[in-house]
Amino acid sequence: MATSPSTERRTAAGLLWTPFAALIKLIDLPMRAVQRLIGERRMAYVFLLPNLLFFSLFVFVPLIVNVVFSVTGGAALFPSERPFVGTGQYAYLFDCGSFLDPNSCREDHFWRGVANTARFTLFQVVAMVLFSLVTAVVLNMRIKARGFFRAVYFFPVLLSPVVVALTWKWILQRDGLLNAGITALGGERILFFVDPSWAMFWAVFVSIWAHMGFYTLILLAGLQAIPADLYEAAEMDATPRWRAFWCITLPLLWPNMVVVIVLALIKGVQTFDEVFVLTGGGPGTATLMVVQYIYETAFSNQVQNFGLAAAASVVLGVVLFTLTLAQLAASRRKDA
Amino acid sequence: MAQLTLSGITKSFGTTTVIHGVDLKVEDGEFVVFVGPSGCGKSTLLRIIAGLEEVTSGMIAIDGEDVSRLPASERGLAMVFQSYALYPHMSVYKNMAFALENMGLKTPDIDQRVRRAATMLRLTDYLDRKPKALSGGQRQRVAIGRAIVRDPKIFLFDEPLSNLDAELRVATRKELAGLHAELGGTMIYVTHDQVEAMTLADRIVVLQGGRIEQIGTPLDLYNAPDNLFVAGFIGSPRMNLLPARISGPGTVAVGEDGQVVETGIVAPLKPGATVTLGIRPEHIALAKNGEAGLTMTIDLVERLGGESYLYGSAPGLPQITVRLDGQTSHGRGDSVTIRLPIAHQHVFNEAGKAMGRQ
Repeated sequence: MATSPSTERRTAAGLLWTPFAALIKLIDLPMRAVQRLIGERRMAYVFLLPNLLFFSLFVFVPLIVNVVFSVTGGAALFPSERPFVGTGQYAYLFDCGSFLDPNSCREDHFWRGVANTARFTLFQVVAMVLFSLVTAVVLNMRIKARGFFRAVYFFPVLLSPVVVALTWKWILQRDGLLNAGITALGGERILFFVDPSWAMFWAVFVSIWAHMGFYTLILLAGLQAIPADLYEAAEMDATPRWRAFWCITLPLLWPNMVVVIVLALIKGVQTFDEVFVLTGGGPGTATLMVVQYIYETAFSNQVQNFGLAAAASVVLGVVLFTLTLAQLAASRRKDA
Repeated sequence: MAQLTLSGITKSFGTTTVIHGVDLKVEDGEFVVFVGPSGCGKSTLLRIIAGLEEVTSGMIAIDGEDVSRLPASERGLAMVFQSYALYPHMSVYKNMAFALENMGLKTPDIDQRVRRAATMLRLTDYLDRKPKALSGGQRQRVAIGRAIVRDPKIFLFDEPLSNLDAELRVATRKELAGLHAELGGTMIYVTHDQVEAMTLADRIVVLQGGRIEQIGTPLDLYNAPDNLFVAGFIGSPRMNLLPARISGPGTVAVGEDGQVVETGIVAPLKPGATVTLGIRPEHIALAKNGEAGLTMTIDLVERLGGESYLYGSAPGLPQITVRLDGQTSHGRGDSVTIRLPIAHQHVFNEAGKAMGRQ
């Protein structure tokens, strides 16, 4: 007997559904038992439990292990084999003649990392907010191919930081694309990764290029949330454009700006992969960031100092925690 | 205060024309209301006058000066928006002072103007508050205050009461009428609510499909609607519009059973021609014993205390609404005969145009 196409589709769907139905039944039985035991209200925790277990395993446990490492010494990997040193690692990190002069510190690399990260973050955040704001304002205007440009600016966000850094390295290295262009125009090659100022400049530039799309998106959403009739009212009030931007756009966009600033700050403090692949922290220690210091101290130096790296991680963690609290506060104020 | 002239105003969005050659003259100090159903183009016309929409063709003149190509900021008009459009981060004072700062006025002048408007609108106690801390009616008053302080040539109102509840709408409507009397400014007001239009306007402009259907005083429109649309739109409850045929000299037959109703048509229509007989609910009376009229069965009675509404039906006719003074004893299912006084009848030809009376 011939079967109709719709019957075949039903059969195929049935075949696919059968194992799912069996699986659901299999889960259903013990879940019913658990629900009877603990009550319907507490079932939410049962559903949260699997993820919580994974989260604990990969976040909470390493966090605790890290703190344990930071108060122990030696080169052993297992905490039980590591001697307790108390706040010794922290005291070593903070042993400085002047915190403004890394050379006066016992662990000068850490403080160079701190200084570089601070400088990187400062320039990156200021430039990022400015460029993102200008881009968002332009992309919010009625320009041709607006959708295309919005996609173009967001596209780098989708790329892996390593891919971004490698791409720019090919462009900026001694025999890279940029120098080829400069020499073709009769100029002299510039050794971007040899000059400390150029290296920091490009580290900041590449970071902005890679992440600006994300912050632009946040600001664009903020701009689009400003009711159009406010601008019409401003137009009726004979408000010059610059004043409308200064007195209407900026204040109403400020909650989004705060979110962008804090997120960019957090991202800046965490910077590692892009700069590491692009400059390797060089020349010398000119672009060495805190996270790179932690990585090298723990894993790539000849003497692997897990304790010191863990202590530096805790210090960085405190800074990030503070910034995250600021971000949460800013988000709450934005939603209020 | 100023006079406004619209000549052949047309507005198209792409291939769609939404305003079709509107001509209108608004006199100095006049309160004109644009009224019509949603999508009739009344707000678009207001925005064209404001300069927030470009005109496709035609001319807008204020006091004789062509402002068609001037931006909104240079037309010297003020607009009160449906959404109020108050700057949410600024205080009431700052909202009202903002335009004056743009004009470059000195602080004492700004302060004097803002406080005068605030006193007029009973906003003095709220000057330091942000808009979110105000009620809908107070926000509306701030929006009006923002317009008043500028001393504009013309006030434009885009459905300013539509976000208010019924009670507040009535109160604010009265305030607006008082304000017009006090300021004496030229005001153009857009609404879809014909009660607002009737109560506020010196003249009403009825719009439909981007065209003016009729311009006139509220009572002109009520007493002598030019066409079926205006007849149905102006008046609440709406006019009863009964399909009919000319049955003889001065008479029409209505409904399936061809009940003959006397009317005062003078237009030369042949017997059998289709017309529409219009009469307002308040002009219908119940026939006394033996009086001729139209028979209908009551479907619903609404007793409001001071007045009652009968909703009835007759074969082949749409629902007929009758307004009676006082508290009627009639009930659902009763059969009543209604009189349609000739003096209050409106007769429209097949094209929907009003026909003359004897």
